[in-house]
Parts: sequence; C-alpha cells; structure tokens
Amino acid sequence: MASQRRKTKGENLALRYAILGAWALFCLMPVVWFLSIGLRPRTEIITPTPIYWPSFSLDAWHMIWEDWPMGKYLRNSVLAIIGSVVIDLVLAIPAAYSLSRFQYRGREDIGFYILSTRMMAPAIVAVPIFFLFRTLGLLDTIWALMLIYAAINLSFVTWIIRSYMLDIPKELEDAAKTDGAGEIRILWEIIIPAILPGIITASVIAMIFAINEFLFTLLIASTPEAYTMSVALANFTGGSDGVIYNAIALVAFLAFLPIFLVVVAIQKHLSRGLTMGAVKG
Amino acid sequence: MARIELKNIQKSWGAIHGVRDVNLDIADEEFVVFLGPSGCGKTTTMRMISGLEEPSEGEIIMNGEVMNDIDARDRDVAMVFQGYALYPNMTIYENIRFPLRMRGIPKGDQDGMIRRAAELVELSDYLDRKPGALSGGQRQRAALARAIVRQPHVFLMDEPLSNLDAKLRQHMRVQIKHIQRELKITTVYVTHDQIEAMTLADRIVIMEKGAIQQIGTPDEIYNDPANTFVAGFIGAPPMNLIPGQLQGGVFTAPGVQVAGLTQDYAGAVTLGVRPEDCHVTSGSAHLTGSVYGVEPTGDMTFLTLKAGEKLIEVKADRDYRAELNAAENVAFDSARVYLFDTKSGERLR
Repeated sequence: MASQRRKTKGENLALRYAILGAWALFCLMPVVWFLSIGLRPRTEIITPTPIYWPSFSLDAWHMIWEDWPMGKYLRNSVLAIIGSVVIDLVLAIPAAYSLSRFQYRGREDIGFYILSTRMMAPAIVAVPIFFLFRTLGLLDTIWALMLIYAAINLSFVTWIIRSYMLDIPKELEDAAKTDGAGEIRILWEIIIPAILPGIITASVIAMIFAINEFLFTLLIASTPEAYTMSVALANFTGGSDGVIYNAIALVAFLAFLPIFLVVVAIQKHLSRGLTMGAVKG
Repeated sequence: MARIELKNIQKSWGAIHGVRDVNLDIADEEFVVFLGPSGCGKTTTMRMISGLEEPSEGEIIMNGEVMNDIDARDRDVAMVFQGYALYPNMTIYENIRFPLRMRGIPKGDQDGMIRRAAELVELSDYLDRKPGALSGGQRQRAALARAIVRQPHVFLMDEPLSNLDAKLRQHMRVQIKHIQRELKITTVYVTHDQIEAMTLADRIVIMEKGAIQQIGTPDEIYNDPANTFVAGFIGAPPMNLIPGQLQGGVFTAPGVQVAGLTQDYAGAVTLGVRPEDCHVTSGSAHLTGSVYGVEPTGDMTFLTLKAGEKLIEVKADRDYRAELNAAENVAFDSARVYLFDTKSGERLR
C-alpha cells in the first residue's frame, strides 16, 4: 500500500515537472528564437524553406560591437534606468509615506492625481517636453533621459509603495514613536526595511518600463551620446543595408539581459513583493 | 518614576465621543488597570497618556508637568502593544537596543542594559533571532524587554497578553507583576480580561462608553460595585441581576423574595447576588426555581436555575447533581446582597 502510494506520488511529481518544464520552454521560446536568429548568418534568416539546424555565426555579434557604439548604448541605458529609478525612489518613498500615513485635506485627491498622470497619452506632452528640455539645455543627454523615465514611472512607483505602506501595522510606528524615534527615523529604520520587497518590485517594473521606452528617448536623443538600446534597435531597420534581423535580435537580447539578470538575482524578494500586496490588500 | 493625573479628559472625533470627562490620579509606582468591553475608551485613554493621541479637552499631567503638547517620543513612556510591534527586520537584540539608540544612551552602556533586560524576561538565548523565529510568548517577552530596557517613567501595556494561550497568559501575568514590583515603575495596563485586571492591579478603572464607571482596588470592585454595569462585568459567571420591586424592605420578583433589606427606597430595583453567595438549601429559601442546567467542572458545579423568566447562576458543591426541571431552593448570603436602582443602574445603599 505504502509503496504504491509512494510510486503514485513519484509519478505525480514527474508529471508536474514535465508540465512545468514544457511551460518554461514555451515561455523561453521568444528568447531562444531571438538568440537563434542573432547567432546565424544573415543569409539564413529569411529563406523560402525552413532551416531547422542553422549554421552558427557571430557576424551580427561582431557587427553590433565593431560597427556600432553598442557599449555606449548599453551604458546609456543602464545609467538612465538606474538614475531614473533612484530619482523615483527618492521622490516616491516620502510621497507614499505621506499619502499612506498622514491625515490632511485632499489626501485622496492628491493620490488619484498622481496616478492619473499615468493615464495621459505620451504624445500629448511630447512637444512641450521637447521644448522644456531644449530650454534647459538637456537635449541629447542622459540626464534628460533619467528625468523623463523617472517622470513616466513616478506615479505607479508611488502608488505601489503606498499600497505596501498601507499594509504595515500602525502599531510598529507607534512603538517606534514611544521608543523615541522621529518621523524620518521611523521611515528609514522601520518602514523602508519592512516594505523592501515592495520597493524592489516597483523598481523592477520601473526598469522594465524604462528600458522599453522609445518615444521620448527618440525625441530627446539625437546622437549616440544619448541613444539607448531601444533606439539603437531602430538603427538596424533602415539604411542601405536594409533590415538587419540578426543584429536586431542580438540587440533585443542584450536589452533584455540586464533586467533578466536583475529579476533572477532578486526573484525571492520579487515574488514575495508581488504576492504580499495581493494577499494583504 | 511618575505620578500621572488625568483632568477632565475628553476625546471626540466630530460627533463621536470616545472618552468623556475622565478624571484619574495615578500614584507613583502604582499598577492601574483599565478594564472594560471593546470600544469603551480604555485604549484611547492610554494612547492619550502615551502621546500617540491628543485629548480634545482636558489635561494630562506627569510629575506636575502638563504633557498635552509634548510628543510621544519625549514623554519617557514605554509601551507594549497587543500585536507585540517588534521591528521585523531587526534581531531581538537590535529591537531591545532601538529605544537606547533613539535616546542617545552611550554605546558602551547599551550592551549591559540589553542583556539585563533580556535576562529579566528570560530571553537571553534568543537575542540573535529575528521576531519571526520566536513563539508568541517569546515575542511578547521581547516586547516587554524593549519596554523595560531604558527604565522609563511609565509603562503602558495595551492588552499585551490577549494573543497568548491561557497557560502562557497566566505565566506572563505573574512575570509582568513581578517585573513591575521589582522595577517600581508606574504602570497603566489595558485589558478586557477581568482575571488579568483582578490579579495584576493595585487599582482597577472600569470604563464603559468612554466614561469611568468605578475606580477601586480589586476587592472594592468585586465586593462593592457602584452600579449594575460593574456588578455584571466582574466575576465569572457574573453577578446575578434580578429585576423586581422593593417595598417596605422586602424585595420581590418571580420566584424570589428577600426580606430585611435596609435601603430606604420603594419601587423598581434590581437585586444583585454573586453565584458563590447563593447556596442550595432544603431550609428557608430566598429563591425557588427549576433546574435548567448542571455543569460539573471538577472543583465545583455550576447550577443554572430558572426563576420566572430569569436564569440564575449558582456555584454549588462539586458533588451536587440534579435532574432537569427539578424544583430547587436557594438561600442568599444576606450580607452580600446588593440593590440597584433599575432605571439608573446606580447602587442603592
């Protein structure tokens, strides 16, 4: 009886792994597909008959690094994204603390206003933003990209962090107050550590939005000095060489890689963060 | 150490009155328990003492100094919360150290103070653990250690034992009382558990609907209740309250007659008598009823009698047994029969 039960349990486990493995493979297909395109010769990409075992080639790899300042694009992306997330957190954490903890007239309206900025179509503000940055002398700089990415993401970063702060028991702050802590201490030593999964979650989502951002980057960046990976992709879609699919695939993979590595590194916090708000909210 | 005076304290949120006209003088080193049902204003009163809540009116005075405008962090009170409120990201050591850091205690002194506090609550072996790795009782002891570590002027405890099981609660009660006596720190304790109140308090403050109903020692509260609320709130099972009529010193109600009462009053009254002051008798009785329920508990038997429409609780001998609906006579301990004005609920003396 017992061994039969064990066997059934073992079979169930194998079936579970098989299903999960198949699902993982399905989810990874776009990445594998991109890599397979990026690492094959250009001549084997568009063919009348399918090629199941393409030949391996690093042509696109050499091209993107030798013919294009890909390192600079990557650096620009990383700097602009990290900078924007830092700006977001510096502004969003105190804003969220205020919205979640203090009672004042119009608090809910302010919260909704912050969120509503996300509802605006980006094209509406594109032209004013262009003139604003031109006046500030920030066109074609990473600083401008940091600011614009931060502005785009600030509303939902604030909102996500606020929802995590609402989950923190008020007793913790009361205890800290009677222990002798002021508001800044409470925020820094009690609240922020307690909502770290939420901060990480909001940061990763902001990073994903920022690395995908195209419209404003194209508007602000006009030279490789400020081009990011998303705009760099556009470099391979025109010109005398036509659409260079294997280069596009490799650049897309490179753009995907940093966020993927960040997510893998912090996935424990991330999954906790994503579920924490859901369960308690 | 501190003497606390509450003068005409009121707390309201718009039309809602949380606390009404509370006046109380808590002596230095005294252990005062606020007791009452949920929503009676006891926690709000404590939060006003702590500085976490501002009174709408009245004065909170500590050692002669009005504290109304002084922040919680500057009041030198330490609070223990119902949900422990331990900082989850810090070890127990760091938790206990937190108030010392906030108050600028020199680093060299901190370690000794932390270890002494941990020793006092028997938590020395758990200092390097995070709160999540401790049991409920250990967490509560850690919260207690964090409160006592800097020897504040006042301890405030907001239902600190309500999340613990009965056995642990009894153990913690003894520990809290021992620590309070040892440290001689003025303590205000909030609970809705009358056993905690009776066992811990020097004085009990009974509250209902935001107002104080009675202040007194546990004996005074139990033996000399000021009104029907106090009489019915204290005791397990609570005091029997039997509505009836008083005429010429004789109380009558369906199945009940008590003569020789000295109160100079005529009209609707409520007679109060505790279950342990009711005795099953075969002789002359004050109450005659039918057996409604018999509950042996080992050391005694709870007998419930039905007299008219009223159920009367009696603490009978451990060997007492009876058939349902059997007629039974009960005599009251005459010296422990209380009368209350039915309309106002106030005691008639």
